[in-house]
Amino acid sequence: MPQYQELPCGGQELDIDTALKDGILGGAPELGDATAGDGGKQPVELRKMMDELDAAGDGGGDEAVPAVFICPISLEPMVDPVTLCTGQTYESANISRWLALGHRTCPTTMQELWDVTPIPNTTLRQLIAAWFSRRYTRFKKRSADFHGRAAELVHGLRGTAVPKRQPLKGQARVAALRELRSLATNHQSVTKAIAEAGGVALLTSLLGPFTSHAVGSEAVAILVSGVSLDADAKAALMQPAKVSLLVDMLNEGAVDTKINCVRLIRILMDEKGFRPETVASLSLLVGVMRLVRDKNHPDGVAAGLELLSSICAVHRPARCLIVSIGAVPQLVELLLELPTECVEPALDILDALAIVPEGRIALKDCPRTIPNAVRLLMRVSEACTQRALSMLWVVCRMAPEESAPAALDAGLGAKLLLVIQSGCGPELKQQASELLKLCTLNCTSTVFISKCKLTKTIQ
Amino acid sequence: MIEAMTTDEVHVTVGWEEEGENKGGNGSGESGKSTIFKQIKLLFQTGFNEAELRSYISVIHANVYQTIKILHDGAKELSQVESDSSKYVISPDNQEIGEKLSEIAGRLDYPLLIKELVHDVKKLWQDPAIQETFSCGSIVQLPDCAQYFMENLDRLAEADYVPTKEDVLHARVRTNGVVQIQFSPVGEGKRGGEVYRLYDVGGQRNERRKWIHLFEGVNAVIFCAAISEYDQMLFEDETKNRMMETKELFDWVLKQRCFEKTSFMLFLNKFDIFERKIQKVPLSVCEWFKDYQPIAPGKQEVEHAYEFVKKKFEELYFQSSKPDRVDRVFKIYRTTALDQKLVKKTFKLIDESMRRSREGS
Repeated sequence: MPQYQELPCGGQELDIDTALKDGILGGAPELGDATAGDGGKQPVELRKMMDELDAAGDGGGDEAVPAVFICPISLEPMVDPVTLCTGQTYESANISRWLALGHRTCPTTMQELWDVTPIPNTTLRQLIAAWFSRRYTRFKKRSADFHGRAAELVHGLRGTAVPKRQPLKGQARVAALRELRSLATNHQSVTKAIAEAGGVALLTSLLGPFTSHAVGSEAVAILVSGVSLDADAKAALMQPAKVSLLVDMLNEGAVDTKINCVRLIRILMDEKGFRPETVASLSLLVGVMRLVRDKNHPDGVAAGLELLSSICAVHRPARCLIVSIGAVPQLVELLLELPTECVEPALDILDALAIVPEGRIALKDCPRTIPNAVRLLMRVSEACTQRALSMLWVVCRMAPEESAPAALDAGLGAKLLLVIQSGCGPELKQQASELLKLCTLNCTSTVFISKCKLTKTIQ
Repeated sequence: MIEAMTTDEVHVTVGWEEEGENKGGNGSGESGKSTIFKQIKLLFQTGFNEAELRSYISVIHANVYQTIKILHDGAKELSQVESDSSKYVISPDNQEIGEKLSEIAGRLDYPLLIKELVHDVKKLWQDPAIQETFSCGSIVQLPDCAQYFMENLDRLAEADYVPTKEDVLHARVRTNGVVQIQFSPVGEGKRGGEVYRLYDVGGQRNERRKWIHLFEGVNAVIFCAAISEYDQMLFEDETKNRMMETKELFDWVLKQRCFEKTSFMLFLNKFDIFERKIQKVPLSVCEWFKDYQPIAPGKQEVEHAYEFVKKKFEELYFQSSKPDRVDRVFKIYRTTALDQKLVKKTFKLIDESMRRSREGS
């Protein structure tokens, strides 16, 4: 391993002795091609290696690219380093661009260049190539290991290992699934190996009416970790018995299991052959609402709201079901406590529910609808204001005599005036003024002014 | 009457399917609760020893007599009532046998089933009129074990006959009173194997509401509903559909205050019979399922129909549960109480679920 010394200016200096020992400087035979002096071929291969390592986000534990290999202009490792008369080295393409723009100074030292000829720095190029080459072989070996291990686990679970053994059962199965899950979530590339070893069909077959949660939660976690699910796999997962298991785990599992189930259901919903009645399940909706109300886990709240929103969009009858489980008052009460990014999805859902008559009634009957909606006006975003406004419109129109005064008491007047005077879109302003008219029909101007607590100037 | 619950014991009540409290008669049960009990004895206790097996011989023979009598009398009645009556008329050479068997089966004490009697029973069973009556078993209140015993007649009449486990599981005898069983589903010796105590209250004939609160402390209620009986009427009231009765009973139990926090396990039982019946009798004959739309014949239809029934029970559960109760555990299990492997798997799941709710995860 090359040793680095920390420089006072913050860079790192490559220790030549250990670099020699480790073969960076051409001592080891494996570095054959990389140290050959073929200028034309090298940059392409080197660029490929660099890109692949970069894409793989190759582990955090590795040592960083040495500072001397980085181009000061692009801050990327150099493929074709050239040195100027000031002794500074840059990526050839980058410094050419700099000079082509008419500059005659060295970008890092700001000195004037008495000679603009860039000298190809073959020594540095060879060092960079060798370093990356080693890094690359190590990366390949390690990746192969993960892939190999993942494939091994899948075959063990399927009973297709060589030499032939019974498929794993019981605790051994749970342990294998757990390890597979850890591999899949930590190393994206492993998901491909899992799919190739027949992992998707295996995991799908593991889900059924008698699957224990221990097995089911691991299987679902792997399925949502980025393994590609083809149409057949998704069709299999849509079978009622498997969906029942997902709903079960959604209701009773640990939070990340719940979130994974939500995510898997969401993936299935996007598939072409998806039957919307599948999500018209009271148990599913109750489970999702429970997740949404769990303030300790904002990830779950966001995932749950997203799923509910999709369900409302995809299946109209589901909206009545959602209202029937008391979701409207629950969502309304949550509105002010949700993390900011969840407010709009929640309002979206309430908006969708307000389209069905039962939803409108539920909104009207909930005592917090008006105060919470008024609070949300002009608070989060224009989209939220628009939805909150439309909610207020629905409620006030249904029962103007009770709602209007309540709304004004909650401070609606001032807020509406704010909307009208703000930079919001014209339709929004129009809606606001219509709502204002509706609410102030029976108000005298003194009452109105006092309710709005208007200052003298605005009066 | 009910023992206090200690910390490592789990008490479960096996629900009942119908009660005749307002009808003055006895509920005909038959939802499969006792079969579950027998399975538990086989799976998690020591099973049945030879003496216990032999104790079922008289029950099994009784079932044979009851079956053939129901079929014979049923055929006679249908031949007088049905428009297509000729197919229910028993052939002349079998009529005498039929009367004789019907008389024997009407006595208080049945004789042991011997070879000559078996010969007669078999002959009658094979009569086309009887077979025709059998195919409308739902109308004549034929017990579910009928076909099984009719097909095994020779074995049952052997001089040294010892009933098999399967015979015992099929044997039908009405439960009386409250039956209790104690077991450990995970297996003795294994760490954390909780003790379960199960009560079958199906046989309790007194007014339900008077004693139900005594079960307030139980961890869970298992409600057995035989989904195959959507086209059958009550034994004691032939105008009332059994499934509707089940629906009312389930609703009643869910609303009981003493079960506010109790977990509910719903066993949708007799799936094997349901599977076969759904191909011939549409679900919509039952008023509760009248909005059912079939999709395609075959296996798909069975799954579709089952999901429909399950959804109906789910709807009923959420409608009958006030908002503050919606958080209690509610699980539905598809069961065939006669299938030992299935029952074992089901109890494993129940054990896992109860463990989870006890840990408050």
